[in-house]
Amino acid sequence: MRFLPLIWSGIWRKPGRTILIFLQVSVAFALFGMLQGLKTGVEHLIAEARADLLIVHSRVGFFAASLPLGMLEQIKSLPGVNVVNPVELFGGIYQKTTQQVGIVAVRPDEDWTSAFTFVIAPEYLDAFRKNRTGALARAELARKYGWKVGDHVPLKTNVAQLSGSKDWTFEIVGTFTDKDIGGGNDNILINFAYLDEARLLGKGTVQHFNVAVSDPKLAMTVADEIDRRFANSPNETRSESLREMAQSNLQAIGDLNFLIRAIVGAVLVALLFATATMMMQSIRERTPELAVLKTVGFTNRRVFALVLIEAVVVCVAAAALGLALATLVFPFAARIVHGLSMPWVIVAVGLAYAVLVALISAAVPAMQAARLKVATALAKH
Amino acid sequence: MNFIRQFLGILRVSLSGVTERVGSVLTIIIGIACSVGVLVSMLALGTGAREQEAGDARPDRVVLNSAGAQGIQSSIPREEAAVTLNLPHIKKDANGEPIVVLESFVPSEGNRRVTGNRIFLPLIGITANVTAYLPEMQFTRGRMFQRGLHELIASNPCARQFTGFEMGDRRSIHGIDWTIVGHFDQGRSQQCAVFADVDTIMSTFSRNTYSQVLMMLQSPADYDAIREALQVNPTLHLEARREREAAEEQFKVLNSLFSFVSYFIGTIMAVGATLGSVNSLYAIVDARLRELATLRAIGFGSAPIVASILCESILLALPGALLGVVLAWALFNGLSVSPFGYNFQLKVTPSLAVLGVAWALGMGVLGGLLPALRAARVPVTTALRAG
Repeated sequence: MRFLPLIWSGIWRKPGRTILIFLQVSVAFALFGMLQGLKTGVEHLIAEARADLLIVHSRVGFFAASLPLGMLEQIKSLPGVNVVNPVELFGGIYQKTTQQVGIVAVRPDEDWTSAFTFVIAPEYLDAFRKNRTGALARAELARKYGWKVGDHVPLKTNVAQLSGSKDWTFEIVGTFTDKDIGGGNDNILINFAYLDEARLLGKGTVQHFNVAVSDPKLAMTVADEIDRRFANSPNETRSESLREMAQSNLQAIGDLNFLIRAIVGAVLVALLFATATMMMQSIRERTPELAVLKTVGFTNRRVFALVLIEAVVVCVAAAALGLALATLVFPFAARIVHGLSMPWVIVAVGLAYAVLVALISAAVPAMQAARLKVATALAKH
Repeated sequence: MNFIRQFLGILRVSLSGVTERVGSVLTIIIGIACSVGVLVSMLALGTGAREQEAGDARPDRVVLNSAGAQGIQSSIPREEAAVTLNLPHIKKDANGEPIVVLESFVPSEGNRRVTGNRIFLPLIGITANVTAYLPEMQFTRGRMFQRGLHELIASNPCARQFTGFEMGDRRSIHGIDWTIVGHFDQGRSQQCAVFADVDTIMSTFSRNTYSQVLMMLQSPADYDAIREALQVNPTLHLEARREREAAEEQFKVLNSLFSFVSYFIGTIMAVGATLGSVNSLYAIVDARLRELATLRAIGFGSAPIVASILCESILLALPGALLGVVLAWALFNGLSVSPFGYNFQLKVTPSLAVLGVAWALGMGVLGGLLPALRAARVPVTTALRAG
């Protein structure tokens, strides 16, 4: 404990220099945290995406063509398939053209939620099943427009009703949250049966099927099986798991891995040089003081530890500030890549790197300090 | 005169002492080298992408899209496409036919060789006279697809990056087997391009519209005339753009993203490097405080001292900048990357090198300013007593 004031006074011996080096380390670790955090965060998201949930859509493209509803039973009969649910997607406008709402039509039969990533309270689930014109709004969306249970929400769409009108009204019966990264923020869920009955065109077709597979390990096999089943038919399919989709959506960042690695490497190398020089200067200037410490009975090992700890304290404190700054960036990044957050492992790795940088850069000066001959050191001055 | 003599004198003394301050000097050089190196390599991404998309563009080539649309959203009815053949100012090929190429895109996919990932690839239905429109297109193996047959030709990058594009390979598209009958190079482009006969594609996918129309003009100067001709014809709802503009428009978002990220990271690194050089220069100045005070005591002005230290800072920044540029060039120039499904090579160009050096000069000036002022400000008596 007697050590602490010594370390403290060592750090603040030249406040200007310490503040500069502190800022430099902070900047370096802010950059490290942002880059490495984004990369690892994205990897986590991919790993968390469900591998046992397949999206079966037309091979021609995700939105380019629809599939007949009749395929549902055929997919259901394949081995390894647990639940199949039809999904129709279209866009709506609430009051202003800037307020776009994604409309997701699903069939709320039994077990349907296992084919989705939604989290829905049981009472809302029940209400949704019972009310044909009911809709569940994503919690964020309901909050944004102040929708409450029982509200009737009018939406302008480009899907015509039997009457020819393109305006649809849904009754909000509850809210839901979505665990998936791919889904948009502003979605509502409606009943597929109601939509299909009420719409003028495209009856009996869906945009894609959600398929829950009994075992994630079987997902690839089942996907291939589905695609083979409809190969050479007018409705060729393409089945991919949510994980695969996340992978290809976020591939871009992975493809730039080498750059991220090079930048992080460059940052750390530059930092190492800066801190090492700073420590050496500091020790050189303090030669007489260190000699005095030794005269009053500090062992070589103690002096060595003193210098090392000083460097570690500065580096770790600065790195903590830098990593904290990097964490502040993530809420903004999460607007683009939904669900992205700072992985704590990167904070830990960053702090470990900070300790490492401190130890490496202070090792030589600490050694010099420890080996200091009291007589020569004092004689020089 | 006096200023210059004093300035040069101090600078000479400063520089002769460089070897004694290896640590500080290296910190400045390496810090700046890393910062410039990162900035230049990041910007090389954008330069590479731009070169790729517009490198082969020629001013006499024009792209027609349906008004207000581009890429996959554009759709041009057959009747309108037929009219474009008779527009004036279009160059004729060897057979006397106008060089007007009709294209129809359909989505398709490829499997990455290395990762096995499936990624989106456009399959381009195109008329066979594309070879007249793209003189840089050279067959390296095989031949052109034949009209009415389910044949594909692929650019060489396809075969390198994806599986199933070797000569003779069969690919199942829309329930039909298509055979690869030719490989070609496409100028500087590293992008995978797969072509098939446009009529076969359109009948297979039951399409009735083309995606875009490409045409070669008799001379680049005819561009305005062709736009005019499109406007006065009431049956045509088409928009003409030069090839380069069309390509740049398509990549606008990607390019602005690259620039933003490059300057964002480059700025953060520059701040770090500048802090490092401020620290080192303070150390250098501190070590010479007595010497500088002596100079002032014998009548040297403050201005030459400030100028000489700023100059020293800049002189140290320069080798750092050069080192950074050289490292960026050696490590990354020509490296192939494929972010967001586009394939291109990083390009470290002379203008990027100049930019990197300018960036380093900025860091040198900013980094030297505070230490230089300190050197000039410390009272002579204090400085002489110190140490």
